[in-house]
Amino acid sequence: MENQFADMERYRLGSLPDPAPLAAAYIPMQDSVNPNYTPPEALSRGTLFPGLDLPFMNVVNPDLEQTPMTELMAIGFVVDELELYLDTHAEDREAFELYQTMLAVKKEAMERYARRCAPLLQTDQLGMERYAWLDSPWPWEYRNKREG
Amino acid sequence: MFLYEKKLQYPVKIANPNPKLAKVIISQVGGPDGELGASMRYLNQRYSMPYDELKGLLTDIGTEELGHMEMVAAIIHQLTRKMSTEEIIRSGLDTYFVDHTAGVYPTAASGFPWSAASMAVKGDVLADLNEDLAAEQKARVTYDNILRLSDDPDVNNVIRFLREREVVHYQRFGEGLRLAMEKMNQKNLYAVNPSFDR
Repeated sequence: MENQFADMERYRLGSLPDPAPLAAAYIPMQDSVNPNYTPPEALSRGTLFPGLDLPFMNVVNPDLEQTPMTELMAIGFVVDELELYLDTHAEDREAFELYQTMLAVKKEAMERYARRCAPLLQTDQLGMERYAWLDSPWPWEYRNKREG
Repeated sequence: MFLYEKKLQYPVKIANPNPKLAKVIISQVGGPDGELGASMRYLNQRYSMPYDELKGLLTDIGTEELGHMEMVAAIIHQLTRKMSTEEIIRSGLDTYFVDHTAGVYPTAASGFPWSAASMAVKGDVLADLNEDLAAEQKARVTYDNILRLSDDPDVNNVIRFLREREVVHYQRFGEGLRLAMEKMNQKNLYAVNPSFDR
């Protein structure tokens, strides 16, 4: 995973103001959403952006087992990351377009999961035959078997 | 208002109960630098922010921290299942168990209950954003320390994820600070408080 970013040292650099007035703290602005991890990589690393991937003692997570739920989590996580990036980069068109793409993917994935497995939002129950919201498992519960 | 998605941001599946580990990880629920404190800090600071980017950022990060609190609580819940009396006593969790059984109570590992005294809402753009930067670093260090104390891979995967989120949040708050300062008086950032003097 490291090698694909080896030639792109710039992804670890951001931009600082010039000049910078005194008595203020400055964090470099992240320049771009590129390069970025795939959704499963991003979920394992805890960030979409290799420039921000700064692990403790350089120990990283193994890949997650691929299940409908972990795939949904990966897509949802990329959407979350893009929203935080856009909060401070609202004019970044490239980022906004990537966000639009991922929103469509997430919407479809959520609806498919809700139809096949269980409602994720109360409102997923539109058209369902019973009030399935109360069904186990709840997100904090330990389950030994594969989900969904 | 708040909507609930019935899923976690990252999976919590702890195969081996471990009340001794729960004793320290509880600090990320109700400790001074834990997720409850982080979410309360950001969600309450957003009201006095003058700029849209900051209202959005504090709302979105504050909301994500509530989801993280849920994940840490899920770790505690799963670490404290099926405990024998002997395990409870041997792990030292007996002093928590007597008051909370296997419930999740927001407290620090020291036993000090969650307190708003561990967070600040100063009602000043620069003070609040600098507070947020410090908060993310302190949370990150707490996760570093948990990684030093834990050798359970199921737990550590979640902790590594949550720790990396703090690094990313630090970056975003830093960017928020930059955006705020750019909008303020460049000759004197401290001339007025945009949160109050409008």
